[in-house]
Amino acid sequence: MTTAAGTHPLNRRKKINLLPYLLILPTFVFIALFTIYPTFSVLQSSQEYYHPNRPNRTQETDLNLPGIEEASRSIRGPHDVGLAYFRAMLDPSSPEGEVFFQVMGNTIIYTVITVPVTMLLAFVFAVMVNRSLRWIGLARVAFFYPTMLPLVSAATIWLFFFTPDYGLWNVALKALGYSGPQNWIINRSLGLWALMIVSIWKNAGYLMIFYLAGLQGLPQDVYEAADLDGAGWLTKMFRITLPLLRRTTLFVSVIAIITSFQNVDHAFVLTNELVTGEADLLLYEIYKQRFVLGNYGFANALTVVMIVVLLVFTMTNFYLSERRSDEQ
Amino acid sequence: MKKRSLGLLLALFLLTIAVTGVSAQDAVTVEIYFPIAVDSPITEILNGYAEAYMAENPNVNIVWSFEGGYPDVKTRLLTVAEGGGEVPALAIMLATDIYDLRNAEVIQPLDSYASEDYLADFTDTWLSNSYYDYDGDGTQELYGIPFQRSTVLLYYNADLLAEQGLEAPSDWESLATTAEALTSDSREGILVPNSWPYWVFQPFAAGAGQNIVSDSDVEVFFNNEPVIDALQYWVDLYSVYHATPEGVQSNWGDAPGALVDGAAAMIVHSSGSLRTILDNADFTVGVMGIPGKDGGQYTVTGGGNLYMTAGIDDATAQAAWAFVEWLTQPERTVDWSIQTGYYNTRDSGFDLDAWKEYASANPQVDEARSSLDFAAREFSVQSLGDVRDAFHADVLSVLNGEMEPAAAMADAQEKADAILSIFQ
Repeated sequence: MTTAAGTHPLNRRKKINLLPYLLILPTFVFIALFTIYPTFSVLQSSQEYYHPNRPNRTQETDLNLPGIEEASRSIRGPHDVGLAYFRAMLDPSSPEGEVFFQVMGNTIIYTVITVPVTMLLAFVFAVMVNRSLRWIGLARVAFFYPTMLPLVSAATIWLFFFTPDYGLWNVALKALGYSGPQNWIINRSLGLWALMIVSIWKNAGYLMIFYLAGLQGLPQDVYEAADLDGAGWLTKMFRITLPLLRRTTLFVSVIAIITSFQNVDHAFVLTNELVTGEADLLLYEIYKQRFVLGNYGFANALTVVMIVVLLVFTMTNFYLSERRSDEQ
Repeated sequence: MKKRSLGLLLALFLLTIAVTGVSAQDAVTVEIYFPIAVDSPITEILNGYAEAYMAENPNVNIVWSFEGGYPDVKTRLLTVAEGGGEVPALAIMLATDIYDLRNAEVIQPLDSYASEDYLADFTDTWLSNSYYDYDGDGTQELYGIPFQRSTVLLYYNADLLAEQGLEAPSDWESLATTAEALTSDSREGILVPNSWPYWVFQPFAAGAGQNIVSDSDVEVFFNNEPVIDALQYWVDLYSVYHATPEGVQSNWGDAPGALVDGAAAMIVHSSGSLRTILDNADFTVGVMGIPGKDGGQYTVTGGGNLYMTAGIDDATAQAAWAFVEWLTQPERTVDWSIQTGYYNTRDSGFDLDAWKEYASANPQVDEARSSLDFAAREFSVQSLGDVRDAFHADVLSVLNGEMEPAAAMADAQEKADAILSIFQ
C-alpha cells in the first residue's frame, strides 16, 4: 500500500490534502452550528413579527409597523413583515426608532469614550511596567488583575463603590469637593458613566498586555542610536516608540471596539434599575426586547445590526493583521 | 450445565431490567424551578420539605432546580419550552407575570385540581393576580397558587420616634412632618426606593383613593386625580419637607441597610425584608401599612405564585398538584413564613400554635399581617413590560423635576392606552 502510494505522486498529494480539512472539520462543524446557522436564521427571523407574550386573538391591525397594510391578523403572530423593523428603526418617531436611536447613541458614546481612555491607560501601564526592576512582576499582576475577574464580579465590586453616602466613589469625590447626585447607577445622566468607569477599569489591564508585548518586541538598536544622538525621553516616545507601535495600536483599537460592543454583564448588575433607557447598550437592549418585552422581531433586527457592526470590525482586524504578516 | 447457567444468568439479567424498569416508571419526577435570590437560606428549607415529602411518598421524586431571581426562572422556562426541551412540572414565578406566561402557553389552568374549600382558605388578597380569562369566554381560569408572597410596608425606627415624643404616623401630613422632624445632617427622614417605583407607589395611590389598576387586564389608572396627588406627595417629601433625598436617589437594595445603620429613620420596603431588618437592627423596629392621605393604612401585594407548566403528562401533573397541596398546607405555610419572612398565605395557619408563639415573640409580624386586610392588587396588565416602562419613565421624570405630575400622568396614560388598545 505505502509503496504503491509512494510511486504515484498524484495519489499522495490527494491524501495529504485531505488531512487539513479533516483537522478543521470539528471546528467547522462547531462554527457552522453555533455561528453560521444562527446568523442566517436571525436574518430570516428579523423579518418576522412575533409577540409570544400576547394572546392569539385576531383583529384588524397594521401591527403598528410602517408599511404594513391594515388587515385582520393575530396580534401574536408570527407574520412575515419583510424589512418593516428596519424601516421602523430608521424612523425616529416610531417606538422602535426611538429605542434604536437612543440605544445606538448610548453605545456610540460608550465606545467613543471607553476605547481611547482604556487604550491610553493601557499604554501608560505598559510603559510603566516595561522595565526590569525587582518587583515589576507584582506591578504587572496588579494591573492585569481586573482582567481575570469576570465582568459580573467587577461590577459587583463597583456596585459597592457606587453606593450612596458611604461608597468609596462618593467619599473620594467628596474629598475633591463634589456634592452632586450620590446614586450614580440610577441617575439618568450618570448611569452610562458608571458603566464606562467599570469597563475602563476592567479592560485597561487586558490591553496593556498587547502594548507590553509590542514594547518588548521593539528593536533596541534604534534606541541606542537615538541615545547617541542625545534624544530625550519625550522625543524617543513620540518619534520612535509610538510610530513603531502603530500596528499594535490599530490592532488594540479594533479589539477594544469589539469588546465595548460585547460588554453587557455590568449593566445587569449596575444599571438594571435605571429603567428609562439612558444607560441601555445595544446588547442589553437585545436581551430586554427579547426576554423582558417579548418583542422577538425587533430583538432579531437589533441582532442583525449588532452582527453587521461586529463583522465590520472583525474584518478590519483580519485585514490589518493579514497585512501586517505580509509586510514582515 | 454451562448453557443452563448462562440461561439462568440471562433470565436474572432480564428480570433485573424489568424490575428496575417498572420501578423507574412508577417513580414520578416533579421538577420545580425556584428563584433563590433572597436573603433567607431557602435551598436548605426547600430541600428539607422535599425530603419530608419523599419520605411520605416514596414513588415521587421532588427535584428543585434553583435559579437566580424571578426573571431567570421566567427566561429559562420560556427558552426551554420554546426550544422543545424538557419543561419542569412547576415553577415559582411572579404573580404579575400571569398574562405573559399564559399567552406564551407555558402554564396551564388549575381549576380541575383546586377544590373550592382549598381555595377558600387562602387569604383573599393573595388570589388577586391568580385568575385570567385567556379564551375570552367570560369565565376566569385559575393559574397561580400563592406561595412566596409579600406586601409593601412602612418600617420605622421606633426608638427615634419615642425620643422626639412622636407618635407613629397616621396620615400623609403626619408621615411627612414626622419624617421632617427626624431628618438631620446624617439621617434621612424617610427613604422610598424610587428607581423602580410602581410597587412602592401603589399604596400611596391607593391611599389617595385610586389604585393604578383594576381587576381588568387592559385598563390602567394613571391620569386620575388621586394618582397625580400621590405623585405630588412624593415630590413634596423632598421639595416641601426636605425629608428625603431630592430626585431619583434611593435604589431598592440600599434602603434596609440605611434603616439598620441609622442613615434613615423610616423606609418603605417589602415585607420580605422584615426578617433581615429585625435580625440586624439594634433598636425597636416599628412596622405598619402605608398611611393614607386622610388616614387609614394601605398596601399592595407582591411576590411569587406556584404555576403548573403546560405540556407535562398527566401522571406528572397529578403528582405535581399533590405536592402543591402538601406544600401549601397551613403547617407548611406557617413554617415557611417563620423561616423566611414571607407571609403565611392560609387563613387557618394563623390559628396554629406555631404561628401564635411566633407572633407573640415578634409583634411586628402581626402588624405586617394586619396589612393584608387592606392590600390592593399588584400592577399587572397585558404587555406588562411596555406599560410599566411607560409609567416608570414619566414617574422618574417628575421626581427628577423635568415634568409636572399632571402632565406626566396624562402622557403615561396616553402611552399605556396605545399599548393596551391592541388587546381591546
